[in-house]
Amino acid sequence: MVLAAEQPDIDARVTLSALFAGFLKAALCGFGGALLPWARRVIVEERRWMSEAEFADTLSLCQFLPGVNFANLAVCVGSKFRGPLGAVAAFLGLTLTPLTIAVVIGAGYLQVAHFAVVQRVLGGISGAAAGLVIAAAFRMLTSQYRHPVALLFAALAFSGIVLTHLPLTLVVAGLAPLSIGASWLRWRAR
Amino acid sequence: MVKVAGAVSDASESSLTFSAHLAGLSLISFGGIPVILPELHQLIVVTHGWVSDAEFSDFFALSQIVPGPNFVFMLSLIGWKVGGAFGAIGAALGVTGPPCALTFFGFQLWHRFHDASWRLIVSRGIVPVTIGLIIASGWVLSRTANPSWRGLAITAAAAALMLRARWNPLWLLGAGGILGGFSLL
Repeated sequence: MVLAAEQPDIDARVTLSALFAGFLKAALCGFGGALLPWARRVIVEERRWMSEAEFADTLSLCQFLPGVNFANLAVCVGSKFRGPLGAVAAFLGLTLTPLTIAVVIGAGYLQVAHFAVVQRVLGGISGAAAGLVIAAAFRMLTSQYRHPVALLFAALAFSGIVLTHLPLTLVVAGLAPLSIGASWLRWRAR
Repeated sequence: MVKVAGAVSDASESSLTFSAHLAGLSLISFGGIPVILPELHQLIVVTHGWVSDAEFSDFFALSQIVPGPNFVFMLSLIGWKVGGAFGAIGAALGVTGPPCALTFFGFQLWHRFHDASWRLIVSRGIVPVTIGLIIASGWVLSRTANPSWRGLAITAAAAALMLRARWNPLWLLGAGGILGGFSLL
């Protein structure tokens, strides 16, 4: 793998099983689709596989491309260190948990989930998980993108979804070219 | 599930059909799987009747509280209903496989042009928009979990504590679950 060969030091540290375990942990802790805080914690803080900027950058690519964002992220992080095999290892770590719950527990889980107490507990967990997602996004924003123009576009994207209820694709299609344009103007003005 | 010989081959045929449809739809899900939710509903409930309307929305709600990527869980569960374990694995691979292959090659290009100025300009433009969308998804997640002001307070408290203190976030999730269980939310 060309990418891995360029970084022999990091390459030796990040084994296939470490990639598998890292993404397994992120998936196990990430309830309710709230994977971002855990992926960020594992990749940036604990294992230091990527810097904050590289993580935000890669995550953007993964969200822009079609599919399950965090499966795409697993492929990026895995292939960065270990090529195709690393991508597979990270992918398996990520998908093992939801797949196992679906296959092994299947309909049984559905019945338990209908108890009112279970629903209230899970609702509370989801509410807190939403807070963790927001906090992780704020950290990414304040550590790398404190420029007023960047903050403006983050605020516009947020408002586009929350206030106007426009479809996601429309918000992205409308804001991304403007934001890239503003970024280009800043680049030229340096 | 009890199956007779004929039903087994029917189930594996349906599993393959389901998986192939997911593979096709996954490639147009720019922005994530929620974008193709209406098409998934059409395919799964209306066209093929693999699950009922009520099951579809139950599975969706349930996927919001299961660990791991939620649409992998939701579609695996539907795959399980379509054709057992084979159907579940087929669904998971169908929805993730093609986009992951695309990402694999896309990431190498992205990496190769790491130092190109256009690459930096594009990424500096896109990342703030992405972050805004993530914060919005946190907002939507919170409203779905509990639409009252107390639900929002829990979300805000969790976000604030996460930013101020370096606790393990599992403590915050546990506290949220306890508050929810006692209906204090």
